[in-house]
Amino acid sequence: MATSGSVPITPVLKDELDIVIPTIRNLDFLEMWRPFFQPYHLIIVQDGDPTRTINVPEGFDYELYNRNDINRILGPKASCISFKDSACRCFGYMVSKKKYIYTIDDDCFVAKDPSGKDINALEQHIKNLLSPSTPFFFNTLYDPYREGADFVRGYPFSLREGAKTAVSHGLWLNIPDYDAPTQMVKPLERNTRYVDAVMTVPKGTLFPMCGMNLAFDRELIGPAMYFGLMGDGQPIGRYDDMWAGWCMKVICDHLSLGVKTGLPYIWHSKASNPFVNLKKEYNGIFWQEEIIPFFQAATLSKDHDTVQKCYIELAKQVKEKLGKIDGYFVKLADAMVTWIEAWDELNPSSASATTATTATNGPAKK
Amino acid sequence: MSVPITPVLKDELDIVIPTIRNLDFLEMWRPFFQPYHLIIVQDGDPTKTIKVPEGFDYELYNRNDINRILGPKASCISFKDSACRCFGYMVSKKKYIYTIDDDCFVAKDPTGKEINALEQHIKNLLSPSTPSFFNTLYDPYREGADFVRGYPFSMREGVKTAVSHGLWMNIPDYDAPTQMVKPLERNTRYVDAVMTIPKGTLFPMCGMNLAFDREVIGPAMYFGLMGDGQPIGRYDDMWAGWCVKVICDHLGLGVKTGLPYIWHSKASNPFVNLKKEYKGIFWQEEIIPFFQSVSLPKDCTSVQKCYLLLAEKVKEKLGPIDPYFTKLADAMVTWIEAWDQINSTGTGAKVANGTANGSANGK
Repeated sequence: MATSGSVPITPVLKDELDIVIPTIRNLDFLEMWRPFFQPYHLIIVQDGDPTRTINVPEGFDYELYNRNDINRILGPKASCISFKDSACRCFGYMVSKKKYIYTIDDDCFVAKDPSGKDINALEQHIKNLLSPSTPFFFNTLYDPYREGADFVRGYPFSLREGAKTAVSHGLWLNIPDYDAPTQMVKPLERNTRYVDAVMTVPKGTLFPMCGMNLAFDRELIGPAMYFGLMGDGQPIGRYDDMWAGWCMKVICDHLSLGVKTGLPYIWHSKASNPFVNLKKEYNGIFWQEEIIPFFQAATLSKDHDTVQKCYIELAKQVKEKLGKIDGYFVKLADAMVTWIEAWDELNPSSASATTATTATNGPAKK
Repeated sequence: MSVPITPVLKDELDIVIPTIRNLDFLEMWRPFFQPYHLIIVQDGDPTKTIKVPEGFDYELYNRNDINRILGPKASCISFKDSACRCFGYMVSKKKYIYTIDDDCFVAKDPTGKEINALEQHIKNLLSPSTPSFFNTLYDPYREGADFVRGYPFSMREGVKTAVSHGLWMNIPDYDAPTQMVKPLERNTRYVDAVMTIPKGTLFPMCGMNLAFDREVIGPAMYFGLMGDGQPIGRYDDMWAGWCVKVICDHLGLGVKTGLPYIWHSKASNPFVNLKKEYKGIFWQEEIIPFFQSVSLPKDCTSVQKCYLLLAEKVKEKLGPIDPYFTKLADAMVTWIEAWDQINSTGTGAKVANGTANGSANGK
């Protein structure tokens, strides 16, 4: 009976979801996540010095890739994967064989909801991904598919099936994800506000996508999740997830896929150094002013009917329109193409070719 | 860090309340509403006396007053429908309007504290909106929040806020089919957020708990032709909301939604609602694409100009669906004419009997 009031069980999806974690230090944070993460396969992307050993806590099933692995697997195409920046995490998306990805930073811990209960972030992300989005019309009671909510009066009935959800963007309590200037001006500000809502970012609207607590349907949108060229040898940092988010949103809007934001929260424990951040973000602060209008005006045609086609087209437009701002964008556009080539190589479209690309040294460490 | 005090704005804001029954609900709101001037729009039988609780400063208009003040133009004001409330917007002389239904009461926040809805609406209206780019921490102007990394700096001034759309605990604002399928559902979820509805996105605007800057957007707040003699009801605030949003998007104004909550106590009868909404359920499917695709030219630089052009387009594009839309388009024009007439520089439009009641009791 529809009104019986029982809460539906969220599928665990343990064989359909990989957790991708970039790290340069250690994975101690996984201990706190153990009750929630242990059923899942982890893909660790080890940034920085490949000779260092990253200890993975006992009992987790994982594959680990360091820079040597990335270079070996991708060959010359490895140039598109950032070094000395958590942007390298997108290599994990590429080598995953699962339908869904959850990515989290190593300074993110389990948060508590207002009742004091530990938040199972992964479960909420799965709920978000498995229920439709509503990008075409704003619902004032937020996600209409949540228990206890629905579409409000005035919401067109033909739009109530919603769109497939491609991305679930979670938030952070404690240290908020601020840019360097804001961190410098408000070093004491902490996010203490628990906003009990999930909502769809409407079609035609861009947003700043943070990679700290992010899940997505890899089959639907994976190739658009390239985190750009950041870190070592690059003139910019801390714009990796932003770049991916803008590309992804333009493509999702074009392909009628949905992007949700809101719950779940994680607890972000570490405030990065604002002086270091300012150096990284410096060019971005100015470039952003031209990048945003570019993405707001970017158009794709009916011919661009796959994520890869959309992405290659975007790369073309990036080179053409943003290339004149700085040579970096020409490099970035080329890297975007390289990424797609690498993605397609590692993920050939035929279903039978799933085993050929698993790296031997990753699972060997189990 | 001290929390900034929200201005009371008691001489700059009118509270517009449509009613056909009584105003008993005002007792609960007294601590919050008493400083403000009320504009009561009495729907239905004008010979009935609506008693206003002692101590409130108000003006009251019944149908006879509306007919007398507007003359033939009174045809644009609905009868036997709370859409008549927009008459109150028109005759107000204040900068801001707050409108609330007579079955809406003071809600409590999760700590048990009573919510001063009006204060939150004022906060919303006095701080900018951010329609051009979505901020994932919601309203960046709230204490304890800000713009997040990746939010372009040139957009952090935001734009002027024209509308503050509040929500409702308890009886949610559902349409008739949803009410029939889920008669027991109550909104118990307190979402502690205010956010801007992005540019280019429409939403269902509910008139139960709504505030706006009358000077900035008032003429677009026409609640359409509903009720007696009309083929549709319960689409008044929806219609106004779609017109308002298109115009706000065009003029670079912001619309916020979220806090504050009020407590909605009365579930209207779903059978009655279905009769009212019936045509709307089908027409909506064509109305929405109309509003989503309508564009206003650069030379529409005032709300009235935008609204008149919208009326033209309604007649042209929606008229073929049903003659109702032709009538509605004409009523939209009548509304603007009436608005401009009442709100011309003179103050001559104040009604003697409305204030005769109010000033005798309240002042």
